[in-house]
Order: sequence, then structure tokens, then C-alpha cells
Amino acid sequence: MTSFESIQRRDFLKQLGLASTTALASPGTRLWGNEQIVHPPARADSCILLWMAGGMAAPDTLDPKAYLPYEDGLEVKNILSTFPAIDTNVDGVKISQGMENIAQVMDRGTLIRSAFQPDLGAILHSRHQYHWHTGYVPPLTVAAPHIGAWMAKVLGPKNDVVPPFINIGQRLEGVGEKEELKAFTTAGFFGSEYGPMNLPYPDQAVQSVQPPKGMEPSRFSNRYKHFQKLLNQNPNRDHLSDFQGESMIRSMEAAHRLLQSDEKHAFDLTREDKDSASKYGDSRFGQGCLLARRLVEKGARFVEVTTEYVPFLNWDTHENGHTTANRMKKEIDQPVAQLIHDLEARGLLDRTLVILASEFSRDMMIEGVPGSSAPDQSRARTDKLTEMKQYGLHRHFTGGSSIMMWGGGVKKGHVYGATADERPLMAVKDPLSIEDLHATIYTIMGINPKTAYEVEKRPFYATKDGIGKCAKGILA
Amino acid sequence: MKPSISLPIFIYYLLCLGVPIFAKVDFVHQVMPVLKKQCAECHTEGKKKGGLSMNTRNEFLAGGEGGEVAVPGDPSESYFLELVASEDTDDRMPPKGPGLSKEEVETLHQWVAEGMEWPEEIRLGDSGWEPKLKPRMVDLPNPTKERTHAIDRILDQDLIKRNAPLPNPATDETFLRRAYLDTIGLLPTPEELDSFLNNESKTKHKVLVDQLLSRNISYADHWMTFWNDLLRNDYTGTGFITKGRTQITTWLYQALRDNKPYDQMTRELIDAQKDAAGFINGIKWRGTVNASQTRNMQFAQNVSQVFLGINMKCASCHDSFIDRWTLQEAYDLAAVFAEETLELERCDIPTGKMATPRWMFPELGQIDPKASKKDRLKQLAALMTHPENGRFTRTIVNRIWAKLMGRGIVHPVDAMHTKPWNEDLLDYLAIRFAKDGYDLKKFMRFVMTSHAYRSRSDLLSEEPGADYVYNGPLPKRMSAEQLMDSIWQVTASHPKNANAKVDRSRVAKKPTSVEVHKFPWPDKITSKWIWSKDQASKINLRKEINLTEKPVRAGILATCDNAFNLTINGRSVAQSTIWQKPVKMVQRDLFKIGINTIEVEAEMFGGSQGFVAQLVLQNEKGVQVVETGKDWEAQIPGQSWTPAHVEKDYGQGPWHKALQNRDIQDGKTGAEPPVRASLVANDFLMRSLGRPHRDQVVTSRPSSLTTLQAIDLANGEILSNTLREGAKNLSRLENSNNIPVWLYRHALGRTPTEAEKQTLLAVSNNLLNQQGVEDLLWMVFMQPDFQIIR
Repeated sequence: MTSFESIQRRDFLKQLGLASTTALASPGTRLWGNEQIVHPPARADSCILLWMAGGMAAPDTLDPKAYLPYEDGLEVKNILSTFPAIDTNVDGVKISQGMENIAQVMDRGTLIRSAFQPDLGAILHSRHQYHWHTGYVPPLTVAAPHIGAWMAKVLGPKNDVVPPFINIGQRLEGVGEKEELKAFTTAGFFGSEYGPMNLPYPDQAVQSVQPPKGMEPSRFSNRYKHFQKLLNQNPNRDHLSDFQGESMIRSMEAAHRLLQSDEKHAFDLTREDKDSASKYGDSRFGQGCLLARRLVEKGARFVEVTTEYVPFLNWDTHENGHTTANRMKKEIDQPVAQLIHDLEARGLLDRTLVILASEFSRDMMIEGVPGSSAPDQSRARTDKLTEMKQYGLHRHFTGGSSIMMWGGGVKKGHVYGATADERPLMAVKDPLSIEDLHATIYTIMGINPKTAYEVEKRPFYATKDGIGKCAKGILA
Repeated sequence: MKPSISLPIFIYYLLCLGVPIFAKVDFVHQVMPVLKKQCAECHTEGKKKGGLSMNTRNEFLAGGEGGEVAVPGDPSESYFLELVASEDTDDRMPPKGPGLSKEEVETLHQWVAEGMEWPEEIRLGDSGWEPKLKPRMVDLPNPTKERTHAIDRILDQDLIKRNAPLPNPATDETFLRRAYLDTIGLLPTPEELDSFLNNESKTKHKVLVDQLLSRNISYADHWMTFWNDLLRNDYTGTGFITKGRTQITTWLYQALRDNKPYDQMTRELIDAQKDAAGFINGIKWRGTVNASQTRNMQFAQNVSQVFLGINMKCASCHDSFIDRWTLQEAYDLAAVFAEETLELERCDIPTGKMATPRWMFPELGQIDPKASKKDRLKQLAALMTHPENGRFTRTIVNRIWAKLMGRGIVHPVDAMHTKPWNEDLLDYLAIRFAKDGYDLKKFMRFVMTSHAYRSRSDLLSEEPGADYVYNGPLPKRMSAEQLMDSIWQVTASHPKNANAKVDRSRVAKKPTSVEVHKFPWPDKITSKWIWSKDQASKINLRKEINLTEKPVRAGILATCDNAFNLTINGRSVAQSTIWQKPVKMVQRDLFKIGINTIEVEAEMFGGSQGFVAQLVLQNEKGVQVVETGKDWEAQIPGQSWTPAHVEKDYGQGPWHKALQNRDIQDGKTGAEPPVRASLVANDFLMRSLGRPHRDQVVTSRPSSLTTLQAIDLANGEILSNTLREGAKNLSRLENSNNIPVWLYRHALGRTPTEAEKQTLLAVSNNLLNQQGVEDLLWMVFMQPDFQIIR
């Protein structure tokens, strides 16, 4: 342990109490070098990432362009957006039809319209999602930590009973590309203490903090009580104790503390007031937003809620894009707006950074960026529309996408960056790379983007090679 | 911009600061402390940030990535002085902390002006240690008392030097449990415990080690985990879906089972023997990847890391800042594997320089750059396993030592440029290993028969750091696989099927009867791989044949992915669970005149499925051949019979010409031992307990249980289902009153105290019903005494 880390650990321990001892005692990763990283003052204490998995088309959501309604024989090269634009509560800022509720909370945050992604030869959801979530393009020589793991590692839990990194709505089994999803849904070389608590079904989240199926709570606590008694009765306990054993006992304690805490009720959606719950709708994503709010209220550090990535489903529209985007907007519009309202009403929005983002945008014509060699993956190729399923943005576009940020630390009612108004819809003003985006998020959360931990005797930075620069124009 | 302090001002500074102006700077007492405090961390030992290394004067003068930084006698040309004095925090050195005081800056300034005196024998870093390439003979110190084992002679000398006590031996119970888990990954049963405790032979520890190591299947089952991690082999994962990756499972398991010498294993891996090629071929990712992750670069990185403990990952993008490896060396090694000429790319930007196929240690010989890829790989394999390559042997003995003793002699095990805590020990073991024919088991036996291995564990209250000293073996946390295996073992709740396609049959006799060889087998096989049309894991197949004549003999040649039981006219004739080893037999009196029914129960464990057979009925006139095909019938149990579905023609599919494999069996194979965790695909619980996603080489597992893991152990579905099934099994196997004692002895290797027994019973109010046993199992399996190997 470096002397600096030991000081830092002591301070953390004082603040966080016993539960986090385990977290901080996790071996394997140390700050790179012996240098004191100076972290910026945090502008937010919790972060919610609303993940539009599968490539949310900016022109049909947050960055509407010229609209052409469906018409037989319409030349697709003329189509930019398949929905009309609507006004928002910010003067001069329009977003896409179908997001009427979100339109009414646009004054609480900053709309980024100039994010872009690299062209990886073939535009692949798994690799771009990996990149977005870790800041690094796979494959890598080491397992990179998820952005949530970085927050868990550097900031620690906000409430020592609540796991600091919670991932809602994504199944990791029984879906396509599951191995690729697992590869970034992890704390990587930080070790699993900083890894995600995965809650694929929000309405079943409570099971993760309950006794196993079929076990009464009384039996569960009785079992643990007797377990502790056994530990104390162990004749070898005093002279056969070691750090591995003690940390095991502490972790077991921390687990049972959560499982027997009041905080665990945050995982139980049936405890939400009916009226309040109904405002989130009954979709899995809506339920996930509600769960995220309840967890942040109880002190979760980082929560991701995803519309779920399943190849060719949800935002992953290789055909029938207009109809699908319409459905997806219906699914997210109300719960996202409600989440912002609820956080605000509870006085939490000022210290919670809410991010709505996707791995890339979509376009009617262009795969990747103009001139890219990426293979076209549209399943509804045509020059002229002959049926509805051809109407929609079916190509993966990496030249300009939109991200919405609300709450802690970001400007209100602000638009950052812009894309061109004619195809190609490239980011033309203040282009924002993943590195700079992450640097901005980390800065808001109070993490120096140059923070590095040691892995295999070399540094591994929070933003790739430490190069990310905070986009100050986004900060309040 | 160069330093622009004029001499008068400079002298003024010195006067103000009270530095004697005309006395020469004393390097050791004035300069060294500044360099140590301000520069050493990033520019000494392995580290060379910005390419600058400052271990010695020569290194410092050689400069960094941007060229030279110090010119003796010329402060104005010595760029480093500008950096340490800079006000601009972006440029200043060191970048963190308050920086140098004015006094320190001036000391350096004067030192440069005076010619940078720096005696050759003085190094800025703590040590000048560099790993040697060649093996080094070690003179063994005299033994202490009866402790004559070479390992003890070396370790004891070190302990005595430090005035540290020689570690006491562990109890027999502890030793037994440790030896079992380290060699075969299973717990001793209560019977095995008794027999060991009651054995009064002085050599019983050695005998036990031999017995355990000779349990070939269990040994292979256990060590599969280590090798799969090291060689990045798995049954599911990234790359398989697009065929960008292949397994080496079957090869690896057989190598372990046969205890193939390590040098031979290495040669087969590097020169890509059939079935072992998946290792060097790496993972082909979809789309473009950065230059450090091409298959060629993966080859360079993995070969260096796995066999030499050398980290080529940094050097795949740029000259390493942390050790001596360069971009050129990484590319040259990659070029050994590459089909095409490689251009060096520095951080993804082409440099115009080309790579030449060669490796890093020309002292041992070099690769012929003009040779074909096949020959280059052969040459590399030979160089790697060259008898004079001490780095090769040190790397593997260190890995095995770490597994057995809890910590590598070099730690971490993949940073072999780190100074070992006992160089003599490492060098001795490496030589010994080579002398013993690179025999992994022999080496394990050597370590495990030392007093050191038998010692009580060194129980530490904190994870050891770089200041680690040896005081006995360190406790080890069970791997996810050891934990699952132990739980399954105690509760008899093993999974039914393995994902790994490996041969675990206990009877490996090859039927070599003349009759089988002389039998008139047809030259051609035109059978089909068949299954039911609707996929199912268990199916029945059948075929009826009408004979007008009774055959003299019948030859049966059959195999199935994965298992089958073949009956003829209701009589069970052959079984197998290994598709790679076809059943080949000759029998009499199987068939009769009239309708004969051939029936097959077939089972698939996962992946592809198919049954293939050729039956040859010999009579006076000649032979009649019956082959599997669409004229057979298939049935999912309980459903109706339908024509069999042809999966593949014989010779196609993943099985190739499996019926003609040389390795055959007589179809009477005994049952395989229970399925082990290393052979099943990663699941939620094992992943949570630290079994890695094997995209990368992984050589160490987390040593602590985390809170999230503890939650999974407290309420996870997989474990609670296992315990439920386990409790049922135990109630069948054991008299429930005996369970607490039996369980403690099996799981922990000791008898519970009376108080513990009371608590174990009290959890179910002395009922020991199904739930009571479940809870009791949990309470035992969750104890550190269970999950830690001490």
C-alpha cells in the first residue's frame, strides 16, 4: 500500500464505517505511482445513466431535421427525419414528436448534439457499447472497468449499505451477444467489489436483497445468527485468523447488513405509492427509472437503466425504424420526464447527474460516416419507399449523436454543439469525443479524468491514456 | 525556451539560500536526495516515464523520448533543469506534488554546471537487479538438522539469517486438506482423513503426495482451471459465435492427464499442433481493431506473458515506459506468426519501419526471417524451450510455486523482471525442473515433499506488499471451481453434463484383439450422422433388419456426440461417452434369422449432436453392411417415431472422420467420475466468485470475498438450489444425526466442538429436517475455514 493510499483509506474508513473496509481492502489495484491526484470538487454525488441501447437515432429524437412523412415512391435520399419537430420549454429548442413530456423538462439540463464515435471498420453495437461504457475500444489487453465501476472505486459507496454500482434492465443470459455484453458490464481489473449489481427485471429486483426463494425472513436471519455464533465458537478463531478470513467475514456482514436493512426496501417497487408508480408506466424501462430513483434516494452512487440491448430489437432498428422509434419514444418519454420531476421534487436533482445516451446515432443513408468502409447493415434497402417497413433510419451513424444531461453540475436550458442541417448530419460545432464526454462526466462527479490505477505495473486511466478534457461549456 | 538565469542572479540565489558558492556539489549527499525524492519514482527501476530512465548517469545522459535532457557542464542545454524550475504546472517536473524548492533547483543547476559527477557504482534505483537469461547453478547451503530437502536448505538459511523461527509443521488434518485441494481440487473424505491420521508411517506425507498426483483424472480436472486461465481457453465466450476463436480443450486435458512434459506442451502450443492451435491463433474480432490487438500482436503478447512472464502489452503500442521492451521487439516477435510483412505502428500510426521475424534473446539463437511461417514457429518453439532459456523455466516454476505456496517467489507472477524474494530458490527450482525433464508433477511432488510445504501457514493480518518476507506458506482462497467442486462433492450434487469435450474414462484400454484388426471392415464408410428432426438432448434411434441367414460374426463401429447405449435385439452391446474414441468391436451371436432390432439411446451434452455407426454382418458369402442414414428412425422419448434426420455426411461436421480415429474403445467403458466445475461453462455464481471471462490471459484470481459475492452466496439461486438438492442427497446417504460431525470432518477436516455441535443443531431446533440440513450446509460452506486453504 502506498503511503498516500493509506492516508486516503484511513479517511475513507472514518467517513464510511466498517462496511467499506472490505471494499477498500480489495487487493490488486493501487493508484498509479505515488502521486496525489487532485480531484475536482464534485458537482453531483449520484449518477443515473439512461441507456438507449441499440443506437438511438438523433434525427428522430433529440436533434430533429427536415421531416418528410411516408409516401409511396418517396426517394429515401431526401429523408432526414421521419417525425416532425415539436417545441420544448426552452425557446428555440425543438425535439422530435413523441417526446412531449421530455420536452417539458429540457429547461433542467443541457442537450449535447455533437457527440461522435470512432469508425471501427464495422459498426458493431457490442464494441461501441463497450467503448461508451469503459472509455476504451475493445479488444484490450486487460479487462477495462465500466464507468460505474470507476465511480465505485474512486468515490466509494455514497451510503455504505447500498451497492455503489447498480445495473438495471439488461439481461446477461439468454440474449444475443451476451458474452460481449458481459465483457463491459464489469469492474474489470478493479475486481468484483466494484462490479455491478445486476437487476435485469426491476419488478424482481427485491429478490436480490431478499432471502432465497422459499426461505422465510425469520429463517434467513436465524441462519445468519447461528453462523455468527459458529464463527465465535470456532476454537481456532483467535490463532487461525488472517486477512483473507477476516475480509470474508466482513463481506458476509456487509451483505447481511444490506439484506436486513431499511435500504433494501428501495429495491421493492411494490412499496411505491400507487399513484406515483403509475406515472412511470408499466414498461420494464419505466419500472427501471422508478427503481433508479428509489435507489438514488437511498444513496446509490451510480445506476444505469437500459432499454435493454437485444440484437435487432428496441432501438436497434435495421428495418421498420419509424414505427419502432415511435414505440421506443412512447416507452421512455413519460418515465424519463417523471424521473426528472421526482428528483427535483425531492431536492435531489441538483446533486444527481442524469444522462440519457446511446452508443451512436442512425441515418437513412450512411453507415458509419461518409466514406466509411463499414458494411451496410440495413435490412430494408431501397431507393424509393414502397412499404412502411422501409421508412426509418436503418444505418448506424457515428458522425453525430445526441446526449441529454440533467441535474447536478450542468447548465440549464442549454444546447451544446450542433450537427449539420443537411446530410451528412455530422457534428459541426463543438464535436465531443467519448474521452471528452467521460472527462466531463467524471469532472462533474468529482473525479480527475487523469486518475490512473496500476494494472500489470502500468497505468490505466479513467479516460483513455488520461487524454480526456472536460467540455467546460456543459458545466453550470 | 531555455533556462535564462544569468550567472550574477544565480550567485545571488545561492547567497540568499546559504549554499556555499565555491564548494563543489556533493553528489551523494546533495544531489542524490533530490533525485530520489523528485525523480526516482517515475524514472528508475523498471519505470521510465517519457522514455527517460535515470538509474545511472549513462541512462540519464541517453535522454528520453524527446532526446537528450542533460548535458554535463552546460546548464543552458540541459532541458531537465528548465522542466524542474518551470512555473507552468502542465510542463513542470515532477508533475505532482509541490515540485522542487528553489534550493533543490539550484543544487541541480550547480551539479550540471560542474560536470554532473555521478560515480558509476551508484544507482539511483534501489537495486540494479535484472533477470538473467540463462539458468544459474546454486550451491546449496548446509542443512539445518534433518531438514535436508533442497528447498528447506535454501529457505532455512534465509530464515536463520533473519533470526526468524523455522515454521512449525502444520497438523496432519491441515496438511491433508491442503494437499488434496492443491493437487486434485477435492476434499479428503472422512474415511481418507481417518486413514491418514491413523497411519503411523513416517513417510506417509510423501506417500500421500504420490497417491494424489497419480489420480490422473482428478489432477487434470483440477489443473484445467489454472491452464484454461493461463492459455485463455474457454467453452463459451467472445469470438466463438463468429468462429474467430477455437478451443484447445481436448488437447489440454489430455496433456494434463498424460502429464505431458511442459517443454513439449509449449512446443505444441507455439508451433500450433493440431487441436492446440487455438492458443496462438488468439481471437479474431469483428471489425477493425487497434494495432495492438491484431492476432499477430496477440501472439506476441500471449507468448511473452505466458511462457516468459514478460509484458509486451505496453511495447505493442510504443517502447515500454516500464521496462526494457521496445516496439520493434514486440513487432519482430509478432512477425514470427504473421503471414504478411508487418509495419510498425506507434500508437496506431504507421512508422514506415518494418518488422523482421525474430525474438528477444538472440543469445540463444535466432529465427530465420526467410523461413516459412511454419518453420519460424518451429524455430521459436525450439528457442523458447532451449535448455539455456532460464527465463522459461523460472516463469513456470514460479507460477506453480505461487499456486502451491500462496505467493510467487517473484510477485506478481507475470512481472518476471521483478526481483525475486529469494533468487537462489527460484534459480535452483528452475534448474531442477529442467533436469527432471520439465515434468510438472515431479516438480509439484518436489515442492510438496519439502518441510516448507508442510509448514503451518503464515497467517497475515494484512495483504503483503513489496516488503514481503517468507515465513511459511500463505493461505489461499479457494477458486470458484474449488469451491463448487467441494460443495458438489460433499453434497453429491454434481451437474450431469460437462461442456468440455474431454476424455475422462477411467478405462483407457485399447482393444487390440487380432479379431478386430483382421475383421473384413469395408474400405469405405458412407454412414450419416443422424439425430431426431426436432432437437432434443436425449433421443432414441432404431433400425430393423430382416435377415435370411445368421451372420457368423458382426463388426460394430459406432460413436456419438456425446453418449450412446446400443442394444441389439434387447441386449446391451456397447456404450460410450467419448465421441473421439469410436467403439470398434467384433461379436458373435448378436443377430438371428428374421427381424432384428438395433436400438440406440443417444444423448447430447451441449453443442453439436449426432450418432454414426456402421454394422458389418459377416456370413459365408461375404459381408452385409448396415449404416446409419435417413432409413433409420428417431424418437424423442414419449413421442412418436419419425424418420431420422441427417445432421451431416460422414467425414463432415466437427467430427471429421471420427470412426477412423486410431484411438478406439471396446464399448465397455466404465462410468466417468462426476463432472467437475472446470469442465462446465462459466455460470453466474462462478463468475461472481471470480472465474474470469477468458478474453485475456488471467493468471491470478481475486484473493478476497467481496460484498456482492457475499450477497450471491447469501441468497443466490444457484447456490440455494444446490444446497436444497444436496440436503436431499445427504438425508439419503447419511443418518441425519451423524450429519454435523460427518460434515465438519469432510468439509473442514476436524470434529466440531460440543458447543459447535449444539449450534449446528440449534439452527433447526434439533430437527435436522430438509431445511435444517440446508442451513447447516450453508453455515459450514460459508466459513473462512472452508473457503480458505490454510
